[in-house]
Amino acid sequence: MFSKSRINVLVPAALAAVLACSPTFVRSDDAAVRPVNPYSGDKVVAKEGGSLFNQFCSHCHGPWAEQGERPRDLRRLRIRYDADAIAMFYKTVNEGRLDKGMPIWKGVLPDATLWKIYTFLETVQEEE
Amino acid sequence: MKSIQKGLAGGFAVAILAAASGAALAQAGNEWPHYGADQSNTRYSTLNQINTGNVKDLKVVWAHSMGTLESQESTPIIIGDTMYVTSSTGPKYVFALDAKTGARKWSYQPELPSDYMSTVCCGLDNRGVAVANGKVFYGRLDAKLDALDAKTGKRLWSVTVADYKKGYAITSAPLVVKDLVITGMAGGEYGVRGFVAAYKQSTGEQVWKTYTIPGEGEPGNETWKGDSWKTGGASTWGVGSYDAKRNLVYWSTSNAGPWGAHTRGSDSSDVSQYPNLGSASQLAFDADTGKINWQYQYTPHDAWDFDGINEGVLTDLTIGGSKIPALLHADRNGFFYVLNRDTGKVVAADPFVTVNWATHVDLVTGRPVEAPNNEKRPQLGKWARNVCPNLIGGKNWSPMSYSMQTGLVYLPAFNMCMDIANREEEYTPGKFYLASEFNLGMPGATGDNLAEFIAWDPVAKKKVWSIPEANMWASGAMTTAGGLVFYGNIDGMLKALDAKTGKVLWQFRVGTGITQSAVTYAIDGKQYLAIVAGRVKGPPSFFGKLGQKMMEASPEGGILMVFAL
Repeated sequence: MFSKSRINVLVPAALAAVLACSPTFVRSDDAAVRPVNPYSGDKVVAKEGGSLFNQFCSHCHGPWAEQGERPRDLRRLRIRYDADAIAMFYKTVNEGRLDKGMPIWKGVLPDATLWKIYTFLETVQEEE
Repeated sequence: MKSIQKGLAGGFAVAILAAASGAALAQAGNEWPHYGADQSNTRYSTLNQINTGNVKDLKVVWAHSMGTLESQESTPIIIGDTMYVTSSTGPKYVFALDAKTGARKWSYQPELPSDYMSTVCCGLDNRGVAVANGKVFYGRLDAKLDALDAKTGKRLWSVTVADYKKGYAITSAPLVVKDLVITGMAGGEYGVRGFVAAYKQSTGEQVWKTYTIPGEGEPGNETWKGDSWKTGGASTWGVGSYDAKRNLVYWSTSNAGPWGAHTRGSDSSDVSQYPNLGSASQLAFDADTGKINWQYQYTPHDAWDFDGINEGVLTDLTIGGSKIPALLHADRNGFFYVLNRDTGKVVAADPFVTVNWATHVDLVTGRPVEAPNNEKRPQLGKWARNVCPNLIGGKNWSPMSYSMQTGLVYLPAFNMCMDIANREEEYTPGKFYLASEFNLGMPGATGDNLAEFIAWDPVAKKKVWSIPEANMWASGAMTTAGGLVFYGNIDGMLKALDAKTGKVLWQFRVGTGITQSAVTYAIDGKQYLAIVAGRVKGPPSFFGKLGQKMMEASPEGGILMVFAL
C-alpha cells in the first residue's frame, strides 16, 4: 500500500498495517491519521502545483481550479470539509470516486505531485 | 417520403422502403428517421405546415422528463407515430413514446457498471438511437452496443465494442446501413487507437472493424513517431454519413492523442515527416467491407485538440458551373471545408470564425499553412499564446443544418481563443493522457460574445448573417421547407428564425440549456416540433471563469418539449 517510491509516508507503518488487514473501520479523515502537506505555504511550490493542477486536474476541475460545478469545485474544500479537507483530498485522489467520475490516481501521480497540487489549492480556498 | 400513420409495422415498412430506394440524398418529411434527419446529415425537413407566417403561434402540446440531470444531447428518432429518445448518463433510459401524446410505450434501463464515469472525459452524454428493421440500436458509455426490439423494448443483443476501463466509450448514435449497424467510439483523451466497427443488425456479429490510425506495416504508419500510433487517439465519437449511390460511409476522426504533439513527431509546423495520418481527418469507408476509400486530413500533426469529428453533410453543389458531389464540414480548426466526396479532394476551405493558427489552407497541397515560426503551435515547455480558435473549436459537435430551400448552412460557432503548452506525461491505461496545459478563460476573439449562430453560403464561401450569443454555446440547427431555421442556447431559449434573413420570429424558454438540434415530424397531417434540453456539464468544467458563467446560465436539467400550432 505504501511503496518506497512514496517520498512522504504520512501514516505510521504500524497503522498502515492495521488499515491493510484489519476489518475495523478506520476513518481516513480521523485526526489520528490526518496527513501533513510537507510544502504547505511554499509559494514557489504553489506555482508549480498550479501548473501540475492544470495539466492533470483542470479537465474536470477547471484551470486554476476555476469552474462552476459546485461538487467539483476544489476552491471550496475548506468550506466543505474544514480540518478534514487535507485527508479527504489525499484519500479521494488516491482511491478515486469512480461512481462520481473521479479516477484513481494512486500509482500515476506520486505523493510529491499530489502535495504540490494541494499546496496550490491551499492558495485558492474561498471564504464563502 | 409519404408516411403511413397506423401502427409500427407501417412505419418500419416506410423506413425500409426509403433505405432500399437507393435515393442517395433522401430527405426527411413526416418522419425523422435518422440522427441527422437523413443519412446525409442535413437536418433539413420538407415539412412546411409550420412556416415563417405562423411559427409565432407555436404552443407546447406535451413534455416529458428525461430522468437525468446533465448534458442532454439526444436527437429523437421518429418512425411512424413513435418517438425513440435516450437520456444522458449511460444512457440511463431509452424511451419509446407516442409522438402525438407523449404517452410512454416502453422504457428500457441498461445496466452499466458504476465505475464507467471515471473513464469518460467530457460529460455523461448520449446522442440517441438508430432505428431499422424493427430494432433500436444505441451505444453506451461503457463502450457496449445494444439492440432492442422496437415494439417491446426487450433487449435482443448487446456486444462489447471496446474496453471502457481503457478509456473507450460510445457517445453518439450509430449509423444504420443496409443490414449493418455501424458505430464509432470515444476516448481520444485516454490514449486509445480509434476505429469504426460494423455489426449485423440481426445478431450483433461483427462484420468489419477498421482502425483510423494505420498499424505496423500499413502505409501511413511511418507518419507516427515510434510507437505513438498505438495511443494516437483519432477516435470517431461523432456521427457517420452514408451515400447509397457510392456505397460510402463517411466518418471523421478526433484529435491526435495525446494533445502534446512532441510525443508523436517533430513538435513543429514542419509536419512533412509526421503528419500523424488518420487523426483529425475525414475518412470514407466502403460500407460493406470497411476498407478506407480515401482520406483527407484537416489538421496535420494536431497540437491544439482540433478534434475533427464534426459531421460531414452530404449535398451536391454547383460551383463555378460544375456540379460537385460535396461533403460539407465545419471543423474545430475554424475552416469551413467543401470536399469532393467522390475523391476526398478539397474544393474550398475558408475561415468561418477568427482563425490565427493558420493563415489559410493551400488548396493544391490540401494542407493548412501555419502561422510562421511556430508562433501559434504549442511545443514541449513552450506556450502558444492567444491561439484562435480554442480547443472547443470554431464549431463543436452540435450539428449544423443544410437547407435545400436556401442553399445555406446554419451552424453554431464559438468566438474564443486560448493559451496552450505541451507537457511531459506518461501513458497509463484508463487515465487521462493529454500531455498538455491550457488556459481557456479568455475574452472573445472579436467582441464580447463567446458564441454565434451563423448562416454560411458554401458556394460563395462567406457568412450571410449571424447572431451573436453572449454565452457559449449555441445549439445545433434544424431547417425546414417552411422557410425556418431553429436553434437554442445555453440560457434555454429555443428560437425560430427566418432562414433567409436571420430575423427571430418566435422564441420559447425551455428552462435549461440547449445543445442539440430540434427535430420535426408530422402525424395525421399535423406538424410537431420537438427539442431535448438539459445544460451541458462536462465542457464548462475546464473553461474556468467562463465555464462558471455557462453553469450560471441555466440549471442542469432534462426535458423533452413538443410544440405544435
